Amino acid sequence: MVLKIFFPQCCNKADSGLLVGHWLPGQDSAVVLAVIHYPFIPGQVKQYIHQVGCVGVGWKNEEAGGEGKTKEEKTGEEGDKVIFVHYEQRKVMLSQLHPTDPPVPLTQSTSELRQVFGTVSQSESLFFLDKYDDSPVKLTHWQSEGREGSIIVELMKQASTPVCLLTAWILVVCSLSVSVSRILNVFPLRFISSKLCSCVQLSYRTEHLQTVSSPTRATSHTDYMRKANIFMSFLLDVTLGLLLIYWLYRENRVGQLANALLPAADRVAKELEELLQWLMGAPAGLKMNRALDQVLGRFFLYHIHLWISYIHLMSPFIEMILWYVGLSACLGLTFALSLLSDIIALLTFHIYCFYVYGARLYCLKVYGLTSLWRLFRGRKWNVLRQRVDSCSYDMDQLFIGTLLFTILLFLLPTTALYYLVFTLLRMVVVMVQGVLQLTVDFINSFPLFALGLRVFRSYTLAEGVKFSVLCEEPGTPLHLMMDINPLKFSSVVQTYRTATYSCYPKDSWLALCKKLFLGELIYPWRHKTTKID
Amino acid sequence: MLKNSPTSVKPQNKLMGADSGLGTGPGPAVPWRKVLWERQPFPDNYVDHRFLEELRRNEGLRQYRYWAVVREAGLVAQQISCVALFLTLWLYMEQGLLSPSTLLWSGLLCALLGYGFYQALGPQGDSDSQQRTRWSDLQSASIFLSFTFGFSPVLRTLTESVSTDTVYAMTALMLLAHLVSFPYAQPSPPGSLSLNAALFASVCLASRLPGDHRASRGLNSSSPSSLHTFTMLCWALLVFALWPCLRQRLRECAPQGFGCVCLLMGLSGVGGLGSIWPGGAVLLAAVLGAVTLLCPLLLIRLQSDKDNIHGPWDEAEIREDLARFLR
Repeated sequence: MVLKIFFPQCCNKADSGLLVGHWLPGQDSAVVLAVIHYPFIPGQVKQYIHQVGCVGVGWKNEEAGGEGKTKEEKTGEEGDKVIFVHYEQRKVMLSQLHPTDPPVPLTQSTSELRQVFGTVSQSESLFFLDKYDDSPVKLTHWQSEGREGSIIVELMKQASTPVCLLTAWILVVCSLSVSVSRILNVFPLRFISSKLCSCVQLSYRTEHLQTVSSPTRATSHTDYMRKANIFMSFLLDVTLGLLLIYWLYRENRVGQLANALLPAADRVAKELEELLQWLMGAPAGLKMNRALDQVLGRFFLYHIHLWISYIHLMSPFIEMILWYVGLSACLGLTFALSLLSDIIALLTFHIYCFYVYGARLYCLKVYGLTSLWRLFRGRKWNVLRQRVDSCSYDMDQLFIGTLLFTILLFLLPTTALYYLVFTLLRMVVVMVQGVLQLTVDFINSFPLFALGLRVFRSYTLAEGVKFSVLCEEPGTPLHLMMDINPLKFSSVVQTYRTATYSCYPKDSWLALCKKLFLGELIYPWRHKTTKID
Repeated sequence: MLKNSPTSVKPQNKLMGADSGLGTGPGPAVPWRKVLWERQPFPDNYVDHRFLEELRRNEGLRQYRYWAVVREAGLVAQQISCVALFLTLWLYMEQGLLSPSTLLWSGLLCALLGYGFYQALGPQGDSDSQQRTRWSDLQSASIFLSFTFGFSPVLRTLTESVSTDTVYAMTALMLLAHLVSFPYAQPSPPGSLSLNAALFASVCLASRLPGDHRASRGLNSSSPSSLHTFTMLCWALLVFALWPCLRQRLRECAPQGFGCVCLLMGLSGVGGLGSIWPGGAVLLAAVLGAVTLLCPLLLIRLQSDKDNIHGPWDEAEIREDLARFLR
């Protein structure tokens, strides 16, 4: 049987004394946590050990200068092989073995490594006494030179409670005021605010702030990391937003932007008009039905004319609106980006309208054609049985049905072309919005704190351990050095991503193509209403 | 007259495993039974002398008589000549030999005459139901006319951008479909596909008529006027939808008159086509002759080559008489 003893490196050079630690059941291992030095009163030591909850084993650590050779007698069996695994106590204490969830109590079924890590991290109370304390028991452990602490951390801890309380109060007041004003117009406002990205982003950030500013301490490692990640991403967001504001307002760029906006909108409208004129002619050599072409083309041209008039009406106010909107970037770059996405949606509203008209017309036509084709063959859709059945029609039904079928069939290419053109335009706009949304999502969910930890203190996120041989000679027990294997970067990002309302495509490609073919309205991005982890 | 009697098949003694002579001693004592699940001392593909005893050939064979078949084939010929007549009218309008208004008025007159004949030949019910039928007929007629008139301006520019060859090809296809799917046995409610195909073809043709020069002075001269389209569609309705009903009524009530009418239709079809396109008339006459006289001959001649076999291996037919289950 092989016995493993996990021995802290800081105790290598300690004076001789009593080793205290834990015995891991079922694994034939022991974790040594500290050394109690002579002289001590056995009664007090027993009381202390019992208070702290360790097991004191009656071993003696005899120090003989440089490398300590330990003679030990194991109670019980003789002639077993012993392996000494040296570990760095501070690192193991502060690190967290992944995968962290679910946090289960240490039972016999958890793995040995997990038990070792868990034992060390749960023995925090043992490490409070350092050598400057006046207690009857003198210990050596990783903190015995003096407890670790920093002034900044302490100050922040003291300041955090009132700040958290203040933030929480502000948030409660804000949400109350918003909900009060919302009571006035329940349905339209809620619908609009669910469609606008900026409102969604705002509510999302409010939720985050509520998480961060809750006065209770984070209990588990996951909660702690999540709070820290949210806080860091919020800081990053605000910093980037402030940078953006600085850049925007420095050389009156807002004014330039406002001045460039109107000609841009005009140009978009002109391009659309040219496109419609091209469609009304003979586009790409296709032969369109002239009458229908003219009707549709004139209808859309009138819409564009209305839109341009509207934009020109708004032009004196644009600069002021942009100025105030730019100020709102202090709430974060994500908010500014979602505002931009909303502005794009509003500016291309006419494209959306055209798409809806074209799609509805096309959908109606396809529906009519399929139904009349069935009439052509003398069949009917049986709603009860959900299948196509034969049917004997009256003469006038047949006659009118055939006439309508002929008309719809010959008008199909014209409608299909308009539908195609406007669907493509709409897809372009949706793509642009999608890219913006993806950026916002990325900033929202990126775990900056976890990555910083991984870079600067890689031992805190442990994936496993690696052993290197220190001393291997026959006749002496094997000495191994245990080093922590840090988590891979990709695993860090994957594990600590903040849950977002990320948008992802609602339909598969095949379903999307089918919807496009039938003329159903598509909304390709769907916001998840429930968070995923 | 051809007669076919079912022949019987002599048992083949040279099949393997026949119980008269195996060469390896006398046959087994147990006779062979035609069951599937019992293990018998015979090989699996053994058959005995009763093999193919139940084979019957050509049972239920119909005896055709030449002139009866000719009379039935005359219906097909008549429908073909109907189509030819319709095409003749279109050709006349296209070449400007007939003006649409004359055609329209004559069509209306024919419709009234036909309706009169229909009512005269029809079964004499009580006046109340006749009144109601007349009222519903009037409703139908007004719906037809109003819809057609309303859609004519749309219909006339429908195939403007399609090339003429495509239009002619579509028309030919649709008329062929009409002839193929026509319910010759029961033409009184016209079949959906045949009527629709004929109407589709007529719409295609109607949009290809040359324009009325008085009405379309400033426009493209090849776009037809609404009156042309309307006339065409009315005549299509008359020829393809209403004429078969009258024909069926005639056939039921006055068979001799029916024969005369058939002949008249054939002759007028050929004659009409001949006045514009003599080659077409010859072709039509040939087709009519072939369908009416040649095909029945072929049918009867080939009956002697028939060789159907029936037996207990045929699929079971469910007879419709399930009344014995209803107590």
